[in-house]
Amino acid sequence: MSLFWLSVGFGLVTSSVLAVAAIGLSLQFGITNYVNFAYGDFMALGAFFTYVLNNEVFHINIWIALAIAALAMGGFGVLINQWLLGPFARRFQSTHYVLIVTFGLSLVMLNVIYSIWGADVRFYSLAAGSAHHVGPMLLTTNQLIVMGISVALLAALHTTLKTTRLGKSMRAMSDNTSLAMTSGIDTRRITTITWFLSGALAGVAGSVLGISEGNLTPAAGELFLFVIFAAVIMGGIGSIYGAMAGAVFIGMSTEISAAYINPAYKLDIAFVVLILTLLIRPNGLIGRPGTTEA
Amino acid sequence: MAYYIFTLVFFLFDYFILAMGLNIQYGITGILNFAYIGFVAIGAYVTGVAGLPANVPGQHYILGLGLPFPLNTLLGGLAAMALAVLVALITLRRLRTDYLAIVLISLSLVFYDFCNNYVSLFNGADGLYNVPAPYAKSLGLGVNSFIIFFACLTGVVALIMWFVMHRVLRAPLGRTLRAIRDDHVAAAALGKNTFRMQLKSMMIGSFFAGIGGGLLIQFGGSFNPTAWLPGETFVVFAVLIVGGAGNNVGMFVGALLVETLLIHLPAFLPDIPGHPGLIEYFDLALVGVVLMLMLWFRPQGIVPERLRRSASFGAPERLDEEAGRLDQTAAIAAGVGIEQADHDTGNGR
Repeated sequence: MSLFWLSVGFGLVTSSVLAVAAIGLSLQFGITNYVNFAYGDFMALGAFFTYVLNNEVFHINIWIALAIAALAMGGFGVLINQWLLGPFARRFQSTHYVLIVTFGLSLVMLNVIYSIWGADVRFYSLAAGSAHHVGPMLLTTNQLIVMGISVALLAALHTTLKTTRLGKSMRAMSDNTSLAMTSGIDTRRITTITWFLSGALAGVAGSVLGISEGNLTPAAGELFLFVIFAAVIMGGIGSIYGAMAGAVFIGMSTEISAAYINPAYKLDIAFVVLILTLLIRPNGLIGRPGTTEA
Repeated sequence: MAYYIFTLVFFLFDYFILAMGLNIQYGITGILNFAYIGFVAIGAYVTGVAGLPANVPGQHYILGLGLPFPLNTLLGGLAAMALAVLVALITLRRLRTDYLAIVLISLSLVFYDFCNNYVSLFNGADGLYNVPAPYAKSLGLGVNSFIIFFACLTGVVALIMWFVMHRVLRAPLGRTLRAIRDDHVAAAALGKNTFRMQLKSMMIGSFFAGIGGGLLIQFGGSFNPTAWLPGETFVVFAVLIVGGAGNNVGMFVGALLVETLLIHLPAFLPDIPGHPGLIEYFDLALVGVVLMLMLWFRPQGIVPERLRRSASFGAPERLDEEAGRLDQTAAIAAGVGIEQADHDTGNGR
């Protein structure tokens, strides 16, 4: 069992978590054209919803709890758009205002989570599962399920975007909102659906992050947010497939480098990749100049 | 009692300085600097290591120059300024607003992570402590009298900084920066080098951040990485928005209302038994809520930026709330596409 393949296994798990999170962020950015800085706290809230269902009162199986929490976070995303971010985005032309509001929302959510659950580290109750040899890698049952969930979600999203009317409308809106609106697409409805998907993906991502890390803390989402940014920017912000590619690249490079240099510098590796991307290809690997500008 | 009051006075003046620095970057020039607290932290750390003697058992850090008060703080301010040049060179030239915000917020997380892990730089996660209290020994001050002395000293520094900032903002530089904020395409068309101007704005603002940070570490005597997570940047933004972006009087009002009354006054309340930190959590959440309400109901802040008559070429001055629409009008007037004028800040495509 070489160190290299062990870290590749970790890299795949991290990439899976990262891909789900990055797509949720990228999807919402593509439609609404502003970054949600509270996304990390959406993840944390989702993780704690799962925790409540799984541990405190209800003792539901972790995977079912995760699904319920994802739906709840989807609803939460819709509400936040309806009552907070949507009105701000419509009222002010300059994106500064809505960016500051999402930044503020992040502070509010983080501190609400802290006041409810405190700063203690918490654990999900889930079966430890046995380790399996997959090729040269060694993965636990839970890690395999996390990867399975991620792949299934990505496949479902790909099918939706490419084959359904909804997906087509979303892609149209992401390319050019005004043009989509004049073509008779109900942009408000699409925005609402997108926020639901983004919130749900954040809920899943937060929970599987908790599962793969083995614990959950209120601030975990906020620190992870930066790794998501690195993946999203690397792929080209707003591009779904770019986000997937970026997630795999960042996930693998941070985990493999962690095996050979000090794992404490994981974040810095992601940041170096981010800066290099910005210097060499500011629109990302797959980003088209036309779409990133609108 | 005097201890409490002068602690509040200190934070009022210190955040006045910090808010003035963010104001020239965001309020005047329109750079959404979400890494602001990172510059404060560098100022604080460098002031700390410049003030501490060379070898203190139990702590690891660079420099250790043992410099006296104004020199170590100045060095902190210059260090923050140097960092600003580096950051601006990487980011300002090519990034539009939200990319810039993402990169800056990431930067502030990476600074945090790096200082936390790289112990020999600024003593890692333990942070610096036992930073010398300026003139406490030579004047023979006790804990209480030092607080009073240092609060007054900070007041004097704040007054000087305010005077400097006042002059900068009234100078042609200030007008150019406002022009870039309101319509950088038009400013560039008039022959202004927008990148150089933004760079200057970043440097001046970061110098203020560094000085404010330097005063902070000397007031408390210690500083550790958790004091500068991105949430702290938001507090400075709250000071700026509540007070009124774009003018220094607003910064003072904001510092008084947000930092002094909303954040530091409740900190003196006793903990609720069994719930440590609950008051602080509620308090920070409240700051976020206040900021959102403020942005919705009075986006120009308590003390709005005054209209200036100097721009008499038909380019409308910013009315904050109407800013977007006016920007657009100006852009159309200048014959520039709206999309472009509204969304990019760089010219690197």
